[in-house]
Formats: sequence, structure tokens, C-alpha cells
Amino acid sequence: MSRIPYSPSEEVDAVVVGTGAGGSPLLARLAAAGLSVVALEAGRVLDPVRDFARDEEAQGFLFWNDERLSAGDDPVAFGRNNSGTGVGGSTLHYTAYTVRAQPADLRLKTDFGVAEDWPFDYEALAPYYDEVEATIGVSGPSPYPWGPARTPYPLKPLPLNGAAQLMQRGCEALGIRTSPAANAALSGSYATDGTHFRPACHNCGFCQAGCATGAKGSADVTWLPLAVAAGAEIRPECYVTGFERDGTGRITAVVYRTPRGDERQRCRAVFLCAGAIETPRLLLLNGLANGSGQVGRNFMAHTGIQVWGQFDDFVRPFKGIPGGLISEDTHRPADADFAGGYLLQSIGVMPVTYASQVARGRKLWGPQLRAHMRGYNNTAGINILGDCLPYGHNYMELSDELDARGLPKPRVHFTMGENERRMTEHADRLMQRIWEAAGARDIWSFPRNAHIIGTARMGADADGSVVDPDGKAHDVPNLYISDNSTWPSALGANPALTIMALSLRTADRFLANRGA
Amino acid sequence: MDKDTSAAVPRRDGSATAGLRDHRYPAGTFAGLIGTPFVTAPTRAALTARLAKPAVTAPRFLDAGEFALLGAVCDRLLDQDGERRIDVPGAIDARLASGETDGWRYDELPDDGSAMKRGLAGFDETARAMAGRGFLELPLDDRDRVIEAVQGGHPAGRAWAALPAKRFFEDLLAAATEAYYAHPLAQEEIGYVGYADARGWQQIELGQREAREPEPVGAAL
Repeated sequence: MSRIPYSPSEEVDAVVVGTGAGGSPLLARLAAAGLSVVALEAGRVLDPVRDFARDEEAQGFLFWNDERLSAGDDPVAFGRNNSGTGVGGSTLHYTAYTVRAQPADLRLKTDFGVAEDWPFDYEALAPYYDEVEATIGVSGPSPYPWGPARTPYPLKPLPLNGAAQLMQRGCEALGIRTSPAANAALSGSYATDGTHFRPACHNCGFCQAGCATGAKGSADVTWLPLAVAAGAEIRPECYVTGFERDGTGRITAVVYRTPRGDERQRCRAVFLCAGAIETPRLLLLNGLANGSGQVGRNFMAHTGIQVWGQFDDFVRPFKGIPGGLISEDTHRPADADFAGGYLLQSIGVMPVTYASQVARGRKLWGPQLRAHMRGYNNTAGINILGDCLPYGHNYMELSDELDARGLPKPRVHFTMGENERRMTEHADRLMQRIWEAAGARDIWSFPRNAHIIGTARMGADADGSVVDPDGKAHDVPNLYISDNSTWPSALGANPALTIMALSLRTADRFLANRGA
Repeated sequence: MDKDTSAAVPRRDGSATAGLRDHRYPAGTFAGLIGTPFVTAPTRAALTARLAKPAVTAPRFLDAGEFALLGAVCDRLLDQDGERRIDVPGAIDARLASGETDGWRYDELPDDGSAMKRGLAGFDETARAMAGRGFLELPLDDRDRVIEAVQGGHPAGRAWAALPAKRFFEDLLAAATEAYYAHPLAQEEIGYVGYADARGWQQIELGQREAREPEPVGAAL
């Protein structure tokens, strides 16, 4: 049945730009529906066994390292903080933390009068959450203590590491409920139709440096094998730069650079799944889909303050799934002076990442830095993942500075609003109390903002948004966007699971509209 | 990692070190583990190459004077002296020569290479303004005072008019710290053996240790 590789001059049903959480589920879905689909991926094909060293520095190739300019009062870190490359995209380095959004996350405007509601409710996502969790193999507690009733997780939770146990101890003392967290790393061996057998996670803790065993549910061992088995072509090292259009505005071909030179792939539809910086960057570079003026606007980054402490107990924080324990008791705190809320998670950490944060956050150097680091094995952290509101002052634009490819570097403006500051202060106080109750010494906080969201808002109103509730561009009849650019609000949950669920929904809406 | 924008925590605050679990770990752990089946082949290749890399003596991006100055600053930042230094300035120069970035920079800083050249010139200017001599001619205590002034964000010197000192220093300190703790011997110093994970870890709970993991041999000297 395989017709691949497709010829660039052949008109395929769809080109998918990007093979991460946004692109790979819909690639599998469209291929399974019998469509001819080609995925263009800027990064290389990676072989985890051969290519992945168990070392932070050596794994730097997993990150999107084209330079971005970070502006505003709270400049956001990119690269290894949130941006990946390679066949599988950012799922290659995500920590596999796969918590669902809660229904209230999708209606901030209704509940608080701020931000925007999503154009559909949680029920529209729930079946897709089920499907994603079953496909990538999420290990989690059943029943799950928070949110609406749900189908059981396909696998039991992963074992708790030292940081998780310490957070459990501190929360118990304060009367805060905790639970083993949902993670897309296998607590037992697992296989689904169309994916290879995958072994159980062996607790190496290196999720962020790429999983070398296939236990983590990254796209390269889940959606992409499914897509290829159904006839999709994945074309690596193809960096998309432009689009050809006909007189009616339809895209007729996608133009991209390869090591062989520039190429163009003819197509009937395009799915842009390049993430919340590269997706709007491509649209702005090409003057595409921006009748609303909203492309690049409403940039959001999850509040992600971390609190670290050192303990008498040995933690050896490199072991085990990094985010082992969760509490969602703070989803809507009773004493909140802000809209929305956050979740708490325990965090393990690798040494270079921790040392770098000590340098930036504690500003220690010389003998004090070395002494602090000799306590690494006794270190554990907690962090939050909190909502972030869209603001006019937070946006992404093209700068005048050119990158190595000769294209304008993106400049991203981010300044936390009063809501993010209050939420961060609330969380900082609470986490410091949890760590005191758990017996930590030398407690310190590292303010940070994590994932990149917004910049191509989804909505019913063509004047105020870039894509409609199906993910289809208001201005271009055959262009869809499937990644976290389209989110109207940030959700108080790590994004990967929701990006994947939304990707399946976008594919189904496309197929339904196509059949109509 | 994230470049922090919070208010400075004073480095010389005595309370900063109170309660530290400041352990001393045994030497030789890395040499004992690297050849075993606990280490995967790509991991062994990466770490062995890093360990074997000779110290850079002829920089490719900075000139000789700049490189000597960077070395002197990094010695203070990582508290290194003597013969057996981890080559932090060499790693920084190699990175700048490659033109590779870590995916972002502060918009208010120039490109990494220009920032480094301007910042190093700034260290020298600040040294002359504070102590009447170049950084390399100062005794160690005075070097630390210059570094503190740069970290504080308002150092003397014309170079800093075009380079926000606080941001520059934060990036420099992070780069130096990452280069240092990526080295196998620095990881040995803090008792880290996470690279020896080819068979995973079974003892992952609080206080648990597998036989190949080192125990501290006492408090730090």
C-alpha cells in the first residue's frame, strides 16, 4: 500500500510541517484515513540507542538552538527550556508529564471575566485525551483524585523517587492532598496496534535528554511509527520557508530548504505544527493568515516558579521520573487573589541544569558555589505549572537581525501581569512552607516561565483570531494550525497531552469537513 | 536554563551556606565506572572525549589577552587554581568560535561574541577604575571585588554603557558553571553518577543507594 516516497511534483493530500506533539498525531490520523501525507521536519532522524548519550551537554542537539531574542521585563528562556528539534520534535525532550487540563481551565472568561474562553468545552477534548493516553502509554493513578470522572489510566503509576517522597511528607503535614502524577513513561512494558513493543521505564531520570529505551511516550516511538505504517512519509532536514498560492489564495505548494537545495512539495492542504514561535514566524515571514492582525499576539508562558531545598536525607535527584508527585489542590485555591490556578509537582534534576540555575538564581560563585553543589545529592525541588493570561504587551515579532539561515530572528516580548505575579507569590509561599514542613534547609526560589503558548489564537470571530475552532485559518481556505499557538488561554496544565489531543481533534474536523 | 530576573541574593550572605550538606566524595569513582557495562557506548564516548580534551592554549575566537583575562575571571568564579583545572575558558572560547547559540539571548545584549569581548574589556576598565591596574595585575581579593561590582550591575567603566553588566555577568557565570559541572571530575566531586544508568536504577527512594553509587567520605575539607 505504501506509495512513499512521494514525488515533490505530485499533489499530496496534505503536508504537515513539524513532527512534534502538534503534527505527529494528526499525521497518523490522516494517513490512517487513507490520505497521502508528507511531514516536513526541520530536524534530523535520531537513533536513541546509537545517538543518545546519558549526558546533558552531549544531548544539546535535541533543542531548537536557532537564536531567539527575549525581551520584556521577564524574558523567557528558549532552547532547552521549551524548544526541540529532530523527528519527534519537542516530545523528544519533554519530561513526559501528561496531566489533563480541567474543565474550568477552558472558561476563564466565564468564571473570572479575564482572558478568553476556549470555543469548545472539556467534553470535546475528553475522548481525545483517552485516545492519546492509550496510544502513548500514560502511567497514572486510577481513580484520579481531581477533575471530572475519567477512564482509568492504561498503566499504574510510576514509582516515587526521593523528591516525590519529600513533597508527600511536606504536603501531608500541611493537609494538602497529593498523588503519584500521570507520566507518559511506562510503568510496565507496553504495545499497541501499530507501535513496537516498548519496555518499562528503568528510572534513569534522563527524560529531558531524550529517552534511550523507548519507555517514554515521545512521538518517534508512538505516533510516527503509526503514521509510517499507514503510509505517511516523514521527510527530515526540511526547513520550511514559504508557500506558493493560487489566485484564490489557496496554498498549492510548500517551499523548503534541504541539504540538497530548495524543494517544493505540491499539496491540497497544509497543517502548520511548528510550535508557538516558528508557526507565527512562518506566517509573518510570508504575510499569511493575518487579516486579523493577531499573528504573534497574546504570547503566554506558564508560571513555573521552582523552590529548592537541601535535606539531611540523600535524595540523589537524578533518579526516577522527574515529576513523580502532583497536587491539584491549588487548581482554584480558596484564598487566591488571582484568576485561575496552578498545580504542584515534585522535581528531580540533573546536575548541570541545577548548577546553571544556582548560578543564575542564587548568583553564587567561587567557594560558595562549589560548596552548594557538593550538596547536590541532598537536593530536591517543587515547582508549579500555572495559568498565564494573554496580554497585548506580550507578543512575538520579526526582528531586523538575521539568523544563520538569513531569516529574521524572532523577538519575543514577555512581562508577567499582576495575575501572574500574585499567583507566583502565592505558590512561592506555599512551596516554601511545604519544604519547611518536609525538613528542608537552605530553601531558595527560582522564578521562571516555561512553555510557549498563544500567537495564533483560535476563535469563532475572524476579526479577533487567526484560526477557527477547527484549527482552520480564517483567511486561507486550506491552511490548518495544530500546536500550542492556537490556544486562547494557557491552561494550568503541562501542554503536551492537550496539544496531542487537540491534534487528533483537528484531524477529525478536517476529515469531517472534507467529506462534507 | 532560565536567565533569572529576580532581585540579587547577596553572594557573601553568611546564611546562604548555613545547613549545607557539604559532602566530600571519594576520588576515582568516574575512572572505576566509565569502562563498565553500567555506561552505554555513546555516553562513554562523550565523557571520555571530554575528559581527554587538552586545555585550550591557543583560543580561536578571543585574542590571547582576552583569553587570559577570561581564564582569570573563570578561576575566581569556579574557585580553581593549580595545574589540574577543568578548562572552563577553553570551553567558552570553543563555543563562541563555533557560532552556536543556546537558542536565545537577552534582547538587551549584543550577540554572544560581541558581548564577551565588550564584557572582558569592561572587567579591565572596572579594575583600573577601582584599583588602578588591569584585572590580571590585581591580587585575588581585589579581583573578587571587581567581580562583585560587575555582578552588582553598576561597575565603573565605559564598556558597560553599551552592555548591561548584570545580564552579561549572569550569562557568563551560567556558561562557566555549565562548562565546569559538565566535566566528569566535577561530577565526581559532587557524588553524581547518573551517567552509569545503562541498567537503570532500582534504588530510587529517599536514602537509598545502589552499590555503584559513592558514599561521602566525610565533610568537605
